[in-house]
Amino acid sequence: MAHYGMLIDLNTCVGCAACAVACKIQNGTPAEMYWCKVIYDEEGTYPHAKKRVLPVSCQHCENAPCVRACPTGASHYDENRNVQIDYDRCIGCRNCMAACPYEARSCNWDDPATNTYFKGFEQTPFETAHASKHPRGVVEKCVLCRDRVSEGKRPACVQTCITESRYFGDLDDPDSTVSKKIRELGARPLLESYGTKPALYYAGLEE
Amino acid sequence: MSNVKTSAAGAHKPLPRALIIVLAVLTAIGLGCWFYSLAAGLEVGGVSNVSPWGIYITVFMTFVGLSAGGLIVASSAHVFNIEPFKKVALPAVIMSTVCICAALGFIIVDLRNPANMWRLFTGPNPVSPLTWDVIVIFTYLVINIIDIVLLVRGDERKVSILSRIALPVAILVHSVTAWIFSLQVARTWYTAIMAPIFVVSACDSGLALLILGLVCLEALGWFTAGRELIKSLAGLLATFIAVDAFLIACELLTMGYPGAAEAEALSVILTGAAAPYFWLEAIGGLLIPFCILVFAKNRENTTLVVVSSALVVLGVLCKRVWLLFSGFAAPYAENSPVVPGWLHAGDAASMGGLAGFYAPSVFEILVTIGIVALFTLVFLVLCNKLLGARAEANTQ
Repeated sequence: MAHYGMLIDLNTCVGCAACAVACKIQNGTPAEMYWCKVIYDEEGTYPHAKKRVLPVSCQHCENAPCVRACPTGASHYDENRNVQIDYDRCIGCRNCMAACPYEARSCNWDDPATNTYFKGFEQTPFETAHASKHPRGVVEKCVLCRDRVSEGKRPACVQTCITESRYFGDLDDPDSTVSKKIRELGARPLLESYGTKPALYYAGLEE
Repeated sequence: MSNVKTSAAGAHKPLPRALIIVLAVLTAIGLGCWFYSLAAGLEVGGVSNVSPWGIYITVFMTFVGLSAGGLIVASSAHVFNIEPFKKVALPAVIMSTVCICAALGFIIVDLRNPANMWRLFTGPNPVSPLTWDVIVIFTYLVINIIDIVLLVRGDERKVSILSRIALPVAILVHSVTAWIFSLQVARTWYTAIMAPIFVVSACDSGLALLILGLVCLEALGWFTAGRELIKSLAGLLATFIAVDAFLIACELLTMGYPGAAEAEALSVILTGAAAPYFWLEAIGGLLIPFCILVFAKNRENTTLVVVSSALVVLGVLCKRVWLLFSGFAAPYAENSPVVPGWLHAGDAASMGGLAGFYAPSVFEILVTIGIVALFTLVFLVLCNKLLGARAEANTQ
């Protein structure tokens, strides 16, 4: 099978967070849960100040600390060597959250049937429609748009990116666009020294 | 309450009724809070995606340690044939059994999807330290129960044989608990010295709790340990405190010396968010009790021994707090681009609820008190029945 992965080119990313919004709409994640998020950081003082932008989601490691940590096998590798969570097996111990170096995981702390996006208001029809897909007490994260990909589409964040800074494809195939771009841009994974072998690559990371 | 009446007919004093009622009420409140937290639509704990573990895991670690310490003392008495310590084997094993049950209780209330708990038994992941912990804790519990039965029967030979299995398992049970944390590659917990630190702090806190328990049992009139025995246990406690302090100092020196990324985690422990707990332990839980107990004259004073023991137990609880939360406050051994500088400063505007830090909610505190009350009650009832039974058997 394939080994799906992604490249995010920080040289062209404008930090609009459209990827995070597209992810929320695609997956109907409950309030305050982001499978895809954008981290903003400011460094230094004027005139040497700099703003840093980093979109982060599950890195789909080949040697994933979360999969090792999970006591029930709920976190596992799928046929495309991506990390997935079987909610029916998850006991909500959150050991995977402690294990993940990328802060990619969130627990479904609240009951999605009663939680709301807008505090003090009722659920929107959109939330109600998606609530049953997010059982309470389990840990969730990016699924690399498994359903879309099996239909031949690209993940929602890749599809929506306004500067086309995200590339998706088969890392095993040296001729895929994503593999070529990774080589061309000299992209590296995040926090390589932990040896987690992520399937997400970043171009333009500061050293 | 019928148990109270039957044991009251025995030779020793009955359970104090007022204490039983208070403990039962606290237990009921705690259980009520837990059921409410399961039924409520919103999370009632202080946990978040930044600090996914909170007070339950802190207290879980503490109770595993308290339990292991009790059994290490009890089984050492038989393995190394330390005659005077054999006398306290039964109360020590009862305490150890009750503490490990309490630890299991804290794990169960901590699970956010307890309905799937059976998955631990049908599809365990053999490389997860949590799976090892489940196996070791259950083995340990079974050994404890068999040990109690054998001690009550007075079968010294079988107790000696069982103690040779119980001692390594007691050491293992706390090592595995340490490995849950110390095998997390990206956390500041990732250090080989964690298991030794856990085992030694189990020995000091467990022994301290045993001393407190023995003094209480003596006050209740159920068991007489004798001043000589308390004195020699206090001497052993002083040794454990010194080893504990040494191992912690080794770890902190190694973290801070290169002045690199881990020094940031060290500053969280020494001067940052976790500092009050660290200094409470270092001064209140290690330095003061050691300075008291190192003098033989002080070890003869039961009041000083009790105060020191209580300080050691509280100190080890503080250690669990700074250990766990320094791992979440300064999460990564190297500077991580995933965690920007402002993240842990408590910026509420961060995306994904990653900002903010942990404080236990009222519900979590009440549940914690409830579980502790429940198992204090179980300890009192078991001691009342079992120590009484043996005392009667001895007099006949």
